[in-house]
Amino acid sequence: MRQSDVYAIASKDIVFESFDGEAVVLDLATGKYFGFTDTGSCLWEALSSGVSPEDLVGAATRSGQVSAADLDAFVARLLEFGLLAPAAGQAAQPLSQSLVAQLANAAEPAQVDIHDDLADLILVDPIHEVEEPQGWPAVKQAS
Amino acid sequence: MRRVTLETLPDYARLLLAEAEGAALRYKAIRKVHLPGLELTAHLDTGALADAMTHAYVPAPEDKQASAACRIFVSHPGIGDVAAPATFVGPYTHHGFANRLAEAGLRGSYFHDLDFWQIYDPKRRVGAQVMTVADSFPPWEPGAPLRAFLHWEYAARGMRLAHAGTLGLSGKGILLAGAGGAGKSGTVVAGLLHGLDSVGDDYVLVDTADKVTARPLFATLKQDPRGFERLGLGHRLDPARPLNWQGKHQFHLADVAARRTPASLDIIALMVPHISGNEASSIMSMPRKDAMIALAPSGIAQMPGERESGFRFFSELTRLLPCYRLSLGTRPEEIAETISAFLARSRA
Repeated sequence: MRQSDVYAIASKDIVFESFDGEAVVLDLATGKYFGFTDTGSCLWEALSSGVSPEDLVGAATRSGQVSAADLDAFVARLLEFGLLAPAAGQAAQPLSQSLVAQLANAAEPAQVDIHDDLADLILVDPIHEVEEPQGWPAVKQAS
Repeated sequence: MRRVTLETLPDYARLLLAEAEGAALRYKAIRKVHLPGLELTAHLDTGALADAMTHAYVPAPEDKQASAACRIFVSHPGIGDVAAPATFVGPYTHHGFANRLAEAGLRGSYFHDLDFWQIYDPKRRVGAQVMTVADSFPPWEPGAPLRAFLHWEYAARGMRLAHAGTLGLSGKGILLAGAGGAGKSGTVVAGLLHGLDSVGDDYVLVDTADKVTARPLFATLKQDPRGFERLGLGHRLDPARPLNWQGKHQFHLADVAARRTPASLDIIALMVPHISGNEASSIMSMPRKDAMIALAPSGIAQMPGERESGFRFFSELTRLLPCYRLSLGTRPEEIAETISAFLARSRA
């Protein structure tokens, strides 16, 4: 991965909110939820707004500096999850001072967890009782 | 057999509404229920759904503010000139289906197994539920009849049907959120059996406009046989009654509540229960992010459409409330006492 790449949110179906500095992202199309640690939330916010990974390497957090290897792994996860996509040709945005300050207060490693236990239900059967599937929903993709 | 694709969906949805509404004089039954800010009138056939509509709701007290009138036509080819419902063909995703209808100003859902359609026009407050025959509805429908229409109607007003349980005391209450098996429904019944109030389990109407309130819509409660026995419900309810489609006992708030269901609760906290295995219950602060992930997914998954607005609503709700992890002890009365003490302390 070239750290000089710039990324953007992969689609308009990716929406997110922040809770006390921790982001929750929902992919509306797949129904998958993603929970970020505090450091992960800062990096997500920066990357999704066009900050180059190169500019994030070495950023200070309470658990140390963001390493190139950790950042590569983190970006790879976001790409794999379909949350970020390369934004070819777009100019990198500067890292804001408020994000620098948030990163400096972040204590946990950069991580993102996926919560997709309900994703199939969102895709297939919106009114299904999710507590005990009992055989529903029957997946039908009519040809 | 008519076939509908994503492209023809809006036209077909309008046709369903027109056919169902056009047969207005041909329905055998009318059920009216007064819900918060809403006069719901259903035109339907006699039978299980009409019976369910008589018992499944908690009627709201008369509003000081004027209520909006909403009409739902529950139709099938045996009523007037209603045609057999079409089959949706082609790749289906709920999100794509909902978006296509939303572009046309409509809301809707479709259940493939039964060619079961629900279409709502929020501007006119008219809905159509179209089935192949009178009793061809999903098995969960009688427990919370027409809930999709209520979801769309209240969502249009900035409110939300939350998939959450509730418990309260003297007008203050908590929301209980979490995945199935976490102990949410058992906690609600435990509280009701030991002197607390509830405005419902499974689906409650949440409003964040001035303060966070929860109001009742549905009276239905459920317990699996193990919970039924653990809570001693066999002493109050007939254990031989048939189980519902989930293999659960299904009953009503009034069957177990000590008092009449309150018209609303002022919600002061969001709790995420889990069965701890410890003897005593405890309430510990938890990160809002984790509470949001416990609250939002099932509430959004079980309600068709309005995905993004639901995500925003539940995010706001989570930020407005303190969030706690409720570790459930082993005794129902002790669980109720723990929540009661929390509510009493918060009231002081």
